[in-house]
Amino acid sequence: MSASSVRYSVGDELDPLVIGEITKELIAEYSRVSHDPNPMHTDEELARSAGHPTVFAQGMLGMAFLARHLTDLAGVGNLRRFKVRFQTMTWPGETITCRAKVANLQETDGRSLVTCDIHTENQDGEPKVVGTATFEAVQ
Amino acid sequence: MADKAMIGREAEGATISIDAESVRDFARGIGETNPLYFDEEAARAAGYDNVVAPPTYPIAFMAESMNADLFFELNLNMPSLVHGGQEFEYYRPVVAGEKLTLKGRIADIWEKQGRSGVLDFVVMEATAHDEGGDPVYTSRITLISRRVDEEEEEEE
Repeated sequence: MSASSVRYSVGDELDPLVIGEITKELIAEYSRVSHDPNPMHTDEELARSAGHPTVFAQGMLGMAFLARHLTDLAGVGNLRRFKVRFQTMTWPGETITCRAKVANLQETDGRSLVTCDIHTENQDGEPKVVGTATFEAVQ
Repeated sequence: MADKAMIGREAEGATISIDAESVRDFARGIGETNPLYFDEEAARAAGYDNVVAPPTYPIAFMAESMNADLFFELNLNMPSLVHGGQEFEYYRPVVAGEKLTLKGRIADIWEKQGRSGVLDFVVMEATAHDEGGDPVYTSRITLISRRVDEEEEEEE
């Protein structure tokens, strides 16, 4: 089960991480722990008055899920570069899964660097937070 | 609108202490279960001095790297502001109990014609160094703001 025994090839789809259903409570809790002052994530009435159906999740919550996926795969301390764009909003009631696909392999100074295309998606496969990440595969 | 002349402007920066309880709270809030984020003994066994922070934890104190004056000088349309993207480069994980020195700067500004008008893009960069002066991470946050057109501004 250790990350060190994994051999990567370009095009490999890595084991996905199922996060589960996003709830308003989870979104509000993330606002608290991340010190996010934006009331759009916690104030239902304000979100509606701004034309949204309800509160929506922080982009950074999706990035945190992807970080969890990456550290589960590569081990804590092996992430080198991690870049995302917040493509579409994540709503309460959606079920989120993290996916990673190997895009590039590089050997530098005796280190094996694995670059993956990563994203979160909902139950219909709609991508939400999309990006790339590079981690060091510890031998 | 954001003035491109502001590219390269630096914030005063700040020094912050990484608190173990805040790290655990953040890890719990994102549904983490890895013992390195919660259990000091497990973290020590893995070679760290204290519990380790999850990779996106720096967002919890990101505002400290930018001073308000510089941010407001960007003159962004606040109600329209969205977090468009986020990037981290990591040298090593952040560890509870350490002090990090944060330096912020305006890394880039550009504009793009969107469907609903001109969009201003601003990249704010923050670098964190430890007490030994070694780099820990660099963060780049991309903010997107819809420009208020002049007619709209006159009506206000």
